[in-house]
Amino acid sequence: MSEDREILRELWNGQVPVHFVLSSEEITTVETPQPYFALVPRQTYFPLCLEKVNRHFLKSTSHAANAEVWLDWEGTPLRLHYPVGVLFDMYANEGILPWTVTVHYTNFPESELIHLPSRDAVEAHFMFTLKEADSLKHKNTLVSNMQKKDHKQLWTGLLNDRYDQFWAINRKLMETSTENPFFRYIPFRIYQPDKPFIQTLVRPVDEEGRRLTLEQLLKRTLPDASDRTVKIQGIRVPEQTPIQWLSEHFSHPDNFLHICVLDK
Amino acid sequence: MLSPSKLSPTSPTVGDFDWKFEILKQLHRRNATESVCFKPVFEAYGKLFDYSDSLKTQTAHLNLQVEKLKEDIIRGGGNGANGGSLERVGLLEQKVYKLQEELTEMHRRKGENAQQIVDLKNVLQDKEIALLEKERRIQDQDATIYGMKQALKQSEAAVLELERSNQLMKDEQQALHMAYCSLEEKFRKMANENQELIDRWLKQKAAEVERMNAETENMSKLKQRSLQKDILEAAKDQVAINIDKLLNHDDLPMPPICCVVIPSTARQKMDAHDGEVNAVRWSASGRYFATGGSDRKVKLWELSPSGLPEVKGTLTGSNAAVMSVEFDSAESLIVASSNDFAARVWTISDQRLRHTLTGHSGKILACKFFSGSNRVVSGSHDRTLKLWDLRSRACTQTIFAGSSCNDLVCYGSQNIISGHFDKKIRFWDTRTENAVNEILLFGRITSLDLSPDSLYLLACSRDDTLKVIDIRNNQVTVTLHAEGFKIGCDWCRAVFSPDGQYVMAGSNDGVLYVWNLVTGRHDNVEKVLKEGHKDTITACSWHPQGNQLLSCDKNKKVVLWSDM
Repeated sequence: MSEDREILRELWNGQVPVHFVLSSEEITTVETPQPYFALVPRQTYFPLCLEKVNRHFLKSTSHAANAEVWLDWEGTPLRLHYPVGVLFDMYANEGILPWTVTVHYTNFPESELIHLPSRDAVEAHFMFTLKEADSLKHKNTLVSNMQKKDHKQLWTGLLNDRYDQFWAINRKLMETSTENPFFRYIPFRIYQPDKPFIQTLVRPVDEEGRRLTLEQLLKRTLPDASDRTVKIQGIRVPEQTPIQWLSEHFSHPDNFLHICVLDK
Repeated sequence: MLSPSKLSPTSPTVGDFDWKFEILKQLHRRNATESVCFKPVFEAYGKLFDYSDSLKTQTAHLNLQVEKLKEDIIRGGGNGANGGSLERVGLLEQKVYKLQEELTEMHRRKGENAQQIVDLKNVLQDKEIALLEKERRIQDQDATIYGMKQALKQSEAAVLELERSNQLMKDEQQALHMAYCSLEEKFRKMANENQELIDRWLKQKAAEVERMNAETENMSKLKQRSLQKDILEAAKDQVAINIDKLLNHDDLPMPPICCVVIPSTARQKMDAHDGEVNAVRWSASGRYFATGGSDRKVKLWELSPSGLPEVKGTLTGSNAAVMSVEFDSAESLIVASSNDFAARVWTISDQRLRHTLTGHSGKILACKFFSGSNRVVSGSHDRTLKLWDLRSRACTQTIFAGSSCNDLVCYGSQNIISGHFDKKIRFWDTRTENAVNEILLFGRITSLDLSPDSLYLLACSRDDTLKVIDIRNNQVTVTLHAEGFKIGCDWCRAVFSPDGQYVMAGSNDGVLYVWNLVTGRHDNVEKVLKEGHKDTITACSWHPQGNQLLSCDKNKKVVLWSDM
């Protein structure tokens, strides 16, 4: 469908303006370093796009180049293993653009964040999440049967922001057959501020064979919630949208549907 | 929801379009607000950021260059004025830098070389020292070689000489051999001749023997005749002597015992010998006495009619000190023993040496006539006693006594008593080899003497006592001693008086002691004769008639004691 394709394209092109500031504790030079501005793709992860930022800020600190970097937003450490879009929707909601983020190199908050020391660790995390999603959708048959180069192509596509390269493989993961047009379960995570995310087994159709909508999903998972804003990929998706379609089109590259539920 | 899902789950429915459209619209809005509006700004920012970064690095680089150039100009001085030649200056500087580096390298090498030179110099010095050492050794070796050569030459010369002499010897030997052969030939001839001569001589000898026999027969007849004549004369003499004796002595033939008087004055002091006087002895008749000394002489003295002694003769022949003298009973012979291991016999009439009795291997301290004038017994330090027969001039018996003999006396015709160094007195019978008896005293025996009746033996021992021993039971009957009486030597002699009543001995302080045996007081000294000697008295002798004494000491003196 042309709309579907355009939607996928638009989703992929989503970027957020970020204003990086070095934490005042880290500055060791007389001069306060200039802030750094960047447009970061929503689909990617922060550790993959901090190279230039590090190069800029490490001039002003005494720390070694291999010091592990971490970020916070107004005192809240950002979980770097979440995609950038999710973090943006969670914290920069209604905020002023560009989104201001503080960069740290020391005092790693061990209790709140997990270490992602290198690009390989991010890749491993990404592939793990991908497999989890696949096992929910197809009993983990597709990813396991893929060749190593296909895995690599998925990763490099994400890494280098290549839509065509990524979707050439990802399409296979999103396909459904005519005899079984639905996934087994929908891989989704619901995020709420200051709470762990929710992940349950939800089939894309109800007992009568009707397609399950986002509204129904939210009712099932958060029955007592009212007055909330639901954001997927930064927009308020109409509640009647079937979750099967959402999973196929609105999932992040890790094939999970990341749903942010915010108080109004 | 109105969507007819059964028809086609994937195909969009009319409702689908609504939410899809809505979604699309929202997405457009989202991107428009979030990214599209920022895109040109951020792109421009990125470009500017990169540009500024590159500019910064460029500036830094240029600054560095400027600094360097400034430095170059300062260093380059006037040359810097040329301006256009900055590049050249740089080149030159590079060159200079290179050259400097080379220079330092050279310096380093030079230092290394210098070090090497020093090392080499040291090595060279060592080598030179070694060389010198070697040269010195070579010189030494040369010298040795030269010496060797010289020696070789000498040796060769010697060899040649020797060869020559050897040749000479050979020739001589040849000649001698020839001479020997001829001599042998001669000898053989001579031997034959000799044989012939011997035969002839034997024949002549036989003839001579016959002639001699006849002559001896004649001689014996003549002797017999002269003997008969002598006997007749002698018969006449004997008669005269018998008359003489009867006239001289009122008593019967016993010696005049009653005449024993102990003189108290030293009538005559004589320097008899040079050095020690070892022996003095009266003859049996009292006419003569003899002394022997360490001057190897025996002196024969005769009493003059006035009663003073005169030297009648000096008997020589001994090669060492004379230790004892004795007359025979007939007053015809004197025997004297000497330290030269020999005993000698002289005749008194012509004072000639008759016999020299050799055979002992030690000095002879005592020598006595034994049963007549033809036998002599001697006792020596070689621990033997020897009996000699003067007729055959031979030793007839040797008695192994076991200890050095200091004195001996003869007793009867067969018995000998000897006193020894091992404090023993031994009794011998010449018919047996072993000692018949022996008595142990407390000191070395220095002299022995028999009483006139041959019943008592006087022994002088070095415990400074005199013992009178009864020979019949070999018991000491009397022990004599005196205060101040000390035996002076191992051959100090003590004697009985002729009547056996007194005993006399000399002390080492020159005092002569006389003890009386008859009084029964054995420690009572009858008489002490001082003022005769100043040195150790070695021997003394009592005149056979009992009224005169003789004593001798170690210092030349012989003293005649007499009251007449």
